[in-house]
Amino acid sequence: MTDRNDRWGDLLRRANRGEAAAYARFLTEAAPVIRNIVRGRAGMDAGTEDIVQEVLLAIHAKRHTWRESDPVTPWLYAIARYKTADAFRSRKRGGTQVPLEDLAEQLADDGSGDPTAARDLARLLDEIDDRSASIVRAVGIEGESAGEVGARLGMSEGAVRVAYHRALARLRKLAGTEGLTEETKE
Amino acid sequence: MKTEDLIATLATEAPMAPSASLERRAGLGVAFGGLVTLTLFFVVLGPRPGLLIAMSDPFTLAKTILPLLLAPLALIMSLHAARPAVPLGVVRWLALIPPVSAAGLFLWAFSTTGAGDRFALFIGHSIQVCLPAITILSLPIIAGLLGALRHGAPVRPARCGALAGLASAGIATAIYSTFCVEDSPLFYAVWYSLGIGIATGIGALLGMRYLRW
Repeated sequence: MTDRNDRWGDLLRRANRGEAAAYARFLTEAAPVIRNIVRGRAGMDAGTEDIVQEVLLAIHAKRHTWRESDPVTPWLYAIARYKTADAFRSRKRGGTQVPLEDLAEQLADDGSGDPTAARDLARLLDEIDDRSASIVRAVGIEGESAGEVGARLGMSEGAVRVAYHRALARLRKLAGTEGLTEETKE
Repeated sequence: MKTEDLIATLATEAPMAPSASLERRAGLGVAFGGLVTLTLFFVVLGPRPGLLIAMSDPFTLAKTILPLLLAPLALIMSLHAARPAVPLGVVRWLALIPPVSAAGLFLWAFSTTGAGDRFALFIGHSIQVCLPAITILSLPIIAGLLGALRHGAPVRPARCGALAGLASAGIATAIYSTFCVEDSPLFYAVWYSLGIGIATGIGALLGMRYLRW
């Protein structure tokens, strides 16, 4: 625990100075620990990896809330627990999860994707901002590479991937809350 | 997307986005909110006549000083609460000084006031101004502070919001106290505390709503 804390602290400090390799190593080492925390709550659920990725995105988005004098492990565990609880709350509210990743792939395959699913996705895409929606369409449905989309939108390839991922996370959340409104309607 | 791909992608953004620190944002939020509150105060209420003379009485001064002391302590706690796994620390004990002092002042006033005057002083004549004024004057500061705290990552948003409400109410009450002419602790120790409690509750509700991430 202390060993890990010292190592992660060192890696994160170096990441803050712009060392991408140190940051990648920190996230890579953190991922299995996060996975354990998520599984502790979820069991061996198929949706575990989605939540792990949401936690990683949250850590990335909130990395400035860690001060270099603070211990890293409690900070990371607190975020993992918070996001896991949050994911379960919205999932419980939303009933079954729409496997968006599969959905996008299915639609990219051919026109024969489930038409209801296609309509659902189109409606969800309307609810997020245009730029994110166009990235999801291009990368997830039309199968363009992040590099191509980036060149078109004037963004770096990495930025496109992160935007794509964030958009998917938001779509998942939206799909969750939509489930609720439909349930209450019935 | 696979988790390894996500990590590789996030790593390309390793250097910290240059953003103002949470503390600085909170300071700005309180300053802007406080400015709105002060403007509102001077337009609608304004300080009482003979403020400085009134304040030469330490028991009158206490109704301004105690909330003013509470504000920075609650502000520090709200900033701690906005960072995952950062304990509230010793500040939480220091923050007990104003309410304990207020309770002490109340008891002192109770014992030194004649039995016939107690009730009149306790009820006073301005509860209907005092409670809404403290609540409303707190709101701009709560708004400014919550706007800043949204950049944090409170794992208990309601608690963080409540502390922001408490800090805001401390400032708002100190300002309001310069208008209020009820100088007995039998009045202010009770009704100011209730006003601060209301603003704290509003902060908790807003925190639940706006501090989730």
